[in-house]
Amino acid sequence: MCASVKYNIRGPALIPRMKTKHRIYYITLFSIVLLGLIATGMFQFWPHSIESSSDWSVQKRSIRDVPVVRLPADSPVPERGDLSCRMHTCFDVYRCGFNPKNKIKVYIYSLKKYVDDAGVPVSSTISQEYNELLTAVADSDYYTEDIARACLFIPSIDLLNQNALRVKETAQALAQLSRWDRGTNHLLFNMLPGGPPDYNTALDVPRDRALLAGGGFSTWTYRQGYDVSIPVYSPLSAEVDLPEKGPGPRRYFLLSSQMALHPEYREELAALQARHGEAVLVLDKCTNLSEGIPAARKRCHKHQVFDYPQVLQEATFCVVLRGARLGQAVLSDVLRAGCIPVIIADSYILPFSEVLDWKRASVAVPEEKMSDVHGILQSIPQRQIEEMQRQARWFWEAYFQSIKAIALATLQIINDRIYPYAAISYEDWNDPPSVKWGSVSNPLFLPLIPPQSQGFTAIVLTYDRVESLFRVITEVSKVPSLSKLLVVWNNQNKNPPEDSLWPKIRVPLKVVRTAENKLSNRFFPYDEIETEAVLAIDDDIIMLTSDELQFGYEVWREFPDRLVGYPGRLHLWDHEMSKWKYESEWTNEVSMVLTGAAFYHKYFNYLYTYKMPGDIKNWVDAHMNCEDIAMNFLVANVTGKAVIKVTPRKKFKCPECTAIDGLSLDQTHMVERSECINKFASVFGTMPLKVVEHRADPVLYKDDFPEKLKSFPNIGSL
Amino acid sequence: MQSWRRKSLWLALLASWLLVLLGLFPLLRLAVPTSPRAGAPQGWPRWLDAELLQSFAKPGELLEDGPRPPQALRGGSCNWGACFDTSKCRGGGLKVFVYPAAGPVSETRRKILASVEGSRYHTLSAAEACLLLLLSPDTSTGECDPVPPQWDGGRNHLVLSLHPAPCPRTFQLGQAMVAEASPTVDTFRPGFDVALPLLPEAHPLRGGVPGQLRQHSPRPGVALLALAEDGGRWHVAGTDFSACPWDGRCEQDRGPKQTHPGATLPNATFCLIPGRGPDVLHFLQALQAGCIPVLLSPRWELPFSEVIDWTKAAIVADERLPLQVLTALQEMPLTRVLALRQQTQFLWDAYFSSVEKVIHTTLEIIQDRIFGPSAHPSLLWNSPPGAILALPTFSPSPSDFPFYHLQQGSRPLGRFSALIWAGALGQPPLKLIQAVAGSEHCAQILVLWSSEKPPPTGWPKTAVPLTVIDGHRKVSDRFFPYSAISTDAILSLDAHSSLSTSEVDFAFVVWQSFPERMVGFLTWSHFWDEARGGWGYTAKRTNEFSMVLTSAAFYHRYYHTLFTHALPKALRTLADEAPTCVDVLMNFLVASVTKLPPIKVPYGMWHQEARPPPLEPGGPGLRQEPQPAAQNCINQMAAGFGHMPLVSSRLRLDPVLFKDPVSVLRKKSSPPPRSCLTPTPAPDPLRFHSRVCPLVPTLFMLPRKVHRQAPGLTRESREGTAVSSSLWPGRCATNI
Repeated sequence: MCASVKYNIRGPALIPRMKTKHRIYYITLFSIVLLGLIATGMFQFWPHSIESSSDWSVQKRSIRDVPVVRLPADSPVPERGDLSCRMHTCFDVYRCGFNPKNKIKVYIYSLKKYVDDAGVPVSSTISQEYNELLTAVADSDYYTEDIARACLFIPSIDLLNQNALRVKETAQALAQLSRWDRGTNHLLFNMLPGGPPDYNTALDVPRDRALLAGGGFSTWTYRQGYDVSIPVYSPLSAEVDLPEKGPGPRRYFLLSSQMALHPEYREELAALQARHGEAVLVLDKCTNLSEGIPAARKRCHKHQVFDYPQVLQEATFCVVLRGARLGQAVLSDVLRAGCIPVIIADSYILPFSEVLDWKRASVAVPEEKMSDVHGILQSIPQRQIEEMQRQARWFWEAYFQSIKAIALATLQIINDRIYPYAAISYEDWNDPPSVKWGSVSNPLFLPLIPPQSQGFTAIVLTYDRVESLFRVITEVSKVPSLSKLLVVWNNQNKNPPEDSLWPKIRVPLKVVRTAENKLSNRFFPYDEIETEAVLAIDDDIIMLTSDELQFGYEVWREFPDRLVGYPGRLHLWDHEMSKWKYESEWTNEVSMVLTGAAFYHKYFNYLYTYKMPGDIKNWVDAHMNCEDIAMNFLVANVTGKAVIKVTPRKKFKCPECTAIDGLSLDQTHMVERSECINKFASVFGTMPLKVVEHRADPVLYKDDFPEKLKSFPNIGSL
Repeated sequence: MQSWRRKSLWLALLASWLLVLLGLFPLLRLAVPTSPRAGAPQGWPRWLDAELLQSFAKPGELLEDGPRPPQALRGGSCNWGACFDTSKCRGGGLKVFVYPAAGPVSETRRKILASVEGSRYHTLSAAEACLLLLLSPDTSTGECDPVPPQWDGGRNHLVLSLHPAPCPRTFQLGQAMVAEASPTVDTFRPGFDVALPLLPEAHPLRGGVPGQLRQHSPRPGVALLALAEDGGRWHVAGTDFSACPWDGRCEQDRGPKQTHPGATLPNATFCLIPGRGPDVLHFLQALQAGCIPVLLSPRWELPFSEVIDWTKAAIVADERLPLQVLTALQEMPLTRVLALRQQTQFLWDAYFSSVEKVIHTTLEIIQDRIFGPSAHPSLLWNSPPGAILALPTFSPSPSDFPFYHLQQGSRPLGRFSALIWAGALGQPPLKLIQAVAGSEHCAQILVLWSSEKPPPTGWPKTAVPLTVIDGHRKVSDRFFPYSAISTDAILSLDAHSSLSTSEVDFAFVVWQSFPERMVGFLTWSHFWDEARGGWGYTAKRTNEFSMVLTSAAFYHRYYHTLFTHALPKALRTLADEAPTCVDVLMNFLVASVTKLPPIKVPYGMWHQEARPPPLEPGGPGLRQEPQPAAQNCINQMAAGFGHMPLVSSRLRLDPVLFKDPVSVLRKKSSPPPRSCLTPTPAPDPLRFHSRVCPLVPTLFMLPRKVHRQAPGLTRESREGTAVSSSLWPGRCATNI
């Protein structure tokens, strides 16, 4: 580098001394070399993309070409599953280590074909569904290619259907996986466990400590908090297009569509049908179907033929009876049709029961009570039925619809166990989007009245009106419950007055200097704020009496989750213009309070600074206006509650101030404020403000009662 | 020669350039971000023949897996469907019989017995009971009970023990359920057994100590962590906790520490509790203190885990990842910390603070299992006021309750039913009925006739239906959940009460904002009487109040259900004997549910002399001091509830322009003046100091209500209230 600089400097001095032909020669040589270099550079970049496209072609391989692994007959077999396994005993959490994203990393073994000594394959290489499942995992955020960083391993050995594999040899195949280590941190997927004649409820393949995501667990095989119960996927989901049918009354009250039922159950159902007639429909396999029609898509009752699964949409309740296996694919079809499943399978662990609240979408009836099922269902009120129908459909959409949905829900459950502090909540799992949208979860939901002794911190935002500021400080310091005064000095060009010049008050006074003159600085969660209650006050609010402020604080204590302020404002819908309008007239209604003087919980400072939706904060700082409207929107949106206006105070204009150019200034102000409301409403996607018709006064306000006995006699006027 | 030199110079120059460029290229390659791999998916390959793959199940395999007969019970394992006979509970719902104790009764046992007997499920006959409760042998007596008489293999039995059993059971559990404190996860049968909290010996029977949380957010500077130590002590780690403060693994500086003596509660944001047995007691302490429990791989089942969503109040972490847990706690967003802390307090207050609550919660869980589909939804268990106070028999839908409108995104119905209690009275309260029926929100008027005389026939014609219900002449009847009540809101009135329509309208609009509270006109306040060492209450006008009189108050109809079905019978009998007590009792009930004060709205004060004040049934007049008997009532109620639930308020909610010196035209609660120039003659209480604007055209004098109903003028907000800005009455008062 140094050399080049040196020659570079000397270069130009040399050139004029050269002969012309030499010069041409050298220039040509130079450019050739330069071109060569550029070509080299290009070449250096080039192979990279060639490589990746060759990767791409390698990705598209045929399943027939996967490598074959021969399993010797005496290769080790894992232990049988350990029933006492729990996450803290059998799962190696160290492999998950610290992960700032709180996401587990999942590795998938590459696909191999396993054959025994005689060359007979152990199982069919991979099924369509398992391929889909692994694809979904590989496409998700959980996936990692790096086996060393993985915390969960998924073998590519297809275990979905136990009937399609050889139990012992498959176990041997598992045992020779490179990171098997007694199955620690291995996740196996299985939907059809067991086999004739005794149909175990969990996969029979010895699997040692591996986690099992299984369809059809019973309480005896399911390891609570370790295994994951998954649905049995119904291939009809992909084949048939079944449009959603809204909740409401349906033709049949109870329907049974399963084909393979034990005669005892079928008798029971037939008896139900005989007792309740039309309301109950029991379907069976069609015996006389013509060729070519898939039997899976038809059901018959006597000689009547019904389309399946469409017929499920005609029923309010659908029976899901245990067969030889507890998990039944019909559950998925039933949910999809918005039919409420009536689960008659004792000890069955319902899919994803660790997180899904099945009470909201299904009815479980003990096998013993099967004859009473009609009575049990009749006792459910219609409104609840509709709710359950909606819920059933939502469960299908979210967790049953596709193999991908099943795979991701399984991984999410395991992820939540490993990173419990980042787990998603009951509501996230169970509430349908419509409910999530409409519901508000108040961050300060616990009903309590904070102790008076705590007091409040007053925050005065000021620029340079020192005289007025000092008056405000003096006035506010007379309020008994004031515990600290914080002056936010928003002027970067001027230093705050010297310490000695400030008024002497009985509580600590702190001055915070800001880096930029922004309105948002008023709502910053300063470390200096030690109390929960914050009084935001402008540096020109001198008309509020001490009683008025103290009473405002008392009101805040009774409504700690609300904005408690003095002058109230209203938003209105202007039909002609089809937009919101800001209203400062003195009306009977209030939906906002001005934050020129308002009490609120300091948590809202945190929300305003860090959780304000969209670009509202920047908008406010750019326009130097509407920070109070933004705060009103924020609090109303997060708590779902209205503001509290205190005392008759309606304006902040000081009595001695003269209105300079009042009207026109007022007009533009109003237009700007209205614009803010429209802007914020569009950012929030809704109008969160609530309109109320009341304000808070002291109990004896304006009562015929001796003034000196009243707690807050000096409540100011308008 | 010179050219040679020049050549060599140029060559050197070129060579250096070459070197520089070659050296730079690799650097450039690093600087250029490695190009994304041309969209090629990594990892799992896209098979060319994926379409040809077979499905995991053969066609029909999913539909016919071979029928199998119903299974017999597996030995020793029970679940709810198989081992509990719900047919016994048909009709009357859950009925609980508890085996009487033989011999000396320990303190704990006495508390359990008292709790069960105070429960609404209790029955004295073992024959009609559907759940038989067997208390585990006491620690103190040390004797083991023989097999109880109605044992029947343990069917429909619940074996309850608040403390680990000292001696092995002399009989097989059979099909009995077990409710024990902190059962180990290995033996616990989910959905069948019940996990109880491990209570300290001195746990109170009723009421209990409220949670320690006095404010929503953690105090600044409070320690982040407290660590459970042996013997019920807490080790509060300082802010410097980089050294792992448990397990004794790191012996270096533990930072500033204080070791508290046994009973004190931890003062920290998070409480680390190791998962082994002896630390179970810490769990409740942390809960009470509002310190978020961080359980490290607990080997025991969390209490009431069947219904309580512990992820909302505690963190179950892996003990093997201490540093990760610490970092996660440090970085936990404030929003989550707030929610967790509040939930600990709610759960403590709702289910754990007294023996009675623990026992009632246990029974409520069993009741939910019997109810099946109509059990408490999870929301009712996991948000205030909790499942004991939210009866699922009231309604299957949470939005019918007064508590869950926010979570459900619903609103209470926009009408109310007036329930007029007519005691010893000959004449129908005509004026009152007219005033109430005049309200636009009134849906119906119900007269509860509780007089010996037959009700008169001459009821006035009203715009809303009027129904006369024949009461049972008991004061508590006025809070019976009559099926005739069709609205969420009830306006409870006495025949003597006197209200104006505008007062009723305003109070109702206020109630809609606070549907879980009582909104009333007249108030009492309670106080601690040092001289008599008991509670007292007064009707004197004071600067604060804690009760509103039910002779004129709005409240949710759910409180009728709660009053009749959830209150102990003894308290209701007490109220029947001393009629003033009924007001106290209702206020106690609502306050114990909401933990908040009632709401007062203004009442026409200077009419006081002109019209009779609302009276409590048969009791003393408004301004008289409650009788000594009544004063005693509040103490009996406080004893019955186990604590004083009443909360005082210092504010009254007035109309926004209440008694303001602004134009009367702006005020909603006033009737429309006929002309702007004529001041309205009779002064309405809510319309004091009214001034009139003379120059506004009559068109704008219409009351707001008319504008509201005009087509095309509704405001489409989430509130649903409507107003038009363009037609808003003039600007007359802007500059007053």
